[in-house]
Amino acid sequence: MKALLTHEIGSLAKPGWRVKAYAGRPVPPEDVNDARRWGEQLGVEGHEDLLALLREAPLPRERRAEVARWSSVYGVRFLEAAGLDAVYDGEQQRSEMYNWAVTHATGFDARGSVRSFDNKYYTKAAVTGPVTLAEPYHDAEFLLLREMARAELKVPVTGAYTIGAWSFDEYHHCEDDLRLPAAIRREHRQQGRRSLVLELATRLIRPNLESLINLGARWLQVDEPGASTEPDELDLFVESFNASVDGLNAVFSTHLCFSDYELFFPAIEAMSGCQQYCVGFANDDARDLGVSESARPGYQIIKRFRDLPYRPALGVGVLDIHTDFIEPPELVRDRILYAVEVFGDPARIHVTPDCGLRTRTWEVAFGKLRNMVEGTRLAESALGLPT
Amino acid sequence: LVRFVWMQRGGAYPERTEIAAYQHGIFPRSESVVAATRDLERGRTSEEAVEAAFSDDRDAFVALQRGGGLGFFSDGLLRWQDLFRPLVEASTGLDADGLARWFDNNAFYRTPDVSAPPVLSVEPAVFAGLDALPRPRMATLPSPYLFFRAARGLGVVEAAEALLRPAAEFLVARACALIHLQEPWIGFHGIEDAEWASFEKALGVLTEGLSATVVLHVFYGDAEPLLDRLRRLPVAAVGVDLVETDAGAVGTHWETGLLAGCVNGRSTVLEDVDATAEVVARVTERAGPPRLFLSSASELELLPQTLAAEKVRLLGAVTARAREVLSA
Repeated sequence: MKALLTHEIGSLAKPGWRVKAYAGRPVPPEDVNDARRWGEQLGVEGHEDLLALLREAPLPRERRAEVARWSSVYGVRFLEAAGLDAVYDGEQQRSEMYNWAVTHATGFDARGSVRSFDNKYYTKAAVTGPVTLAEPYHDAEFLLLREMARAELKVPVTGAYTIGAWSFDEYHHCEDDLRLPAAIRREHRQQGRRSLVLELATRLIRPNLESLINLGARWLQVDEPGASTEPDELDLFVESFNASVDGLNAVFSTHLCFSDYELFFPAIEAMSGCQQYCVGFANDDARDLGVSESARPGYQIIKRFRDLPYRPALGVGVLDIHTDFIEPPELVRDRILYAVEVFGDPARIHVTPDCGLRTRTWEVAFGKLRNMVEGTRLAESALGLPT
Repeated sequence: LVRFVWMQRGGAYPERTEIAAYQHGIFPRSESVVAATRDLERGRTSEEAVEAAFSDDRDAFVALQRGGGLGFFSDGLLRWQDLFRPLVEASTGLDADGLARWFDNNAFYRTPDVSAPPVLSVEPAVFAGLDALPRPRMATLPSPYLFFRAARGLGVVEAAEALLRPAAEFLVARACALIHLQEPWIGFHGIEDAEWASFEKALGVLTEGLSATVVLHVFYGDAEPLLDRLRRLPVAAVGVDLVETDAGAVGTHWETGLLAGCVNGRSTVLEDVDATAEVVARVTERAGPPRLFLSSASELELLPQTLAAEKVRLLGAVTARAREVLSA
């Protein structure tokens, strides 16, 4: 991969017209205008057909897939127009990174909404039986995007450990009898978690990855935002990653975010099948310019990734996805230059947001991504790299 | 609402133990409130509609507590965005910064960040909602040690003096008879020996002369190695997470109150009432505390609302059964 390669992490917000039309609701004129404006700005070919479709809303169920397809077209063009080297569609086909996976698996039952932070929630499921892949759940979108994308595709796939950590388990561990000694209960919980996570890796994630690879996918990002949830289970996270990808022929990367990244060491020394780590740092960084160690407090941990016994690239998160603050290109540049200085090799540095941008409006997300690309150009210039 | 159970025991145990259950911490929002807050952010509903949804949730939570026979009423902290946010927003010198993981959960809080000497300058707006509760009322606050560790640039005693004591006084003025301090930090991470003194001082600042019962609840970890020190702290009761702590390790001859965290707040599996009550009774008989509180082992916010409600009902059933066992 090229030095300072730019890409997104996964999700973008779903446009209002997509949400309403897909739900079978009317689409008000302001949402149609939004589709027109972005269609024109992004150069979406044939977007007038979408506008005509939206004016027919509410749509019958059999026509709603067209809306989702258009949403993917917009997502791909959005990321391409921002200037990224590798793209996907902002996960426009998926309900959400966790829910999409578990609704395509057997062995899960939805339990209800649980808050992640502020007013952000996810639908959490319980494992109630053996987990298997009901059907490959990214194939259709990959085939669709392969046809439309001009840039390289990177397929985000939610990882086994995160799915396990974000699920209740009523099958592998289903008793909590306080009459038993706490140590025994803890051991039962750990055994249950291990059984669940490895089952997810081998019976859900791996066959899903294999199916994508058979269709021609070459870069698969195993998303593990929950990887450090249980500090004493980092070895299990690594084991599950390896069980998911070992022996498969593709580039595998992983995405980690909003964690105490120190926890991952030394466990990930055994994760040599991971060729790139995509990690969020901007969330904890200062906004002042500067490339010194003291100027970049959010990036101190990157030395640990540099010193791994294999030589993965580091996708350096340079955009805080939790705020509407649009990082100036110069701030992006300095974050990149600091990372390059630490690694001593720009080929091992890639440039990304901290995480998916689904919590930001498209205006804010686009502003951030454009500046990320512009900041990368500034860094390339400062380093004397070809742009 | 508070019953007294005469315990037929010998030895050094007190002759009676006051027993009451309550539900601490943030209670999960209903699907209606989840949808309303989401719709508000997307401009699809009004502030008034969101307010109405919150009010419905509060009324339902009060009915749930009443139906379960709980001894104190909480508002469920339904409007709190995290355990620190209302305090941060009502303070000068303190800002809500980036997200940090709430221990080993897929849940996050915004890090309180000190930019100047912090002062809780006004009453947190969410406290006004307590007036709608029946009495006796209870409230939840972060423990000063948790606040100190979760924030950036805040001292433990400073947290008590500048933020938590004023907050506690506002709560007392709203007729809260019990204040529950959540302390998962030392349960999960532990505490340095050298830090106990400042923790104790901070609790003294918070509790001295306060017209409310203060309970310090350690959870997300095994309390056994901490109990000798915890029992000497200036609080009315110490809470133990029985999901993580051996019932047999709680000890004997308690001179302070005990909170038995006996309902798992992170599992959708519903506990067996008789088995749980048996454990609570065994712990109580051995510890002999002057006051026994029952609650969930940790907050219920990490469960979907319908299951959290089941856990509150279960807490009420366990409490009733434990009373029967202890009075038999």
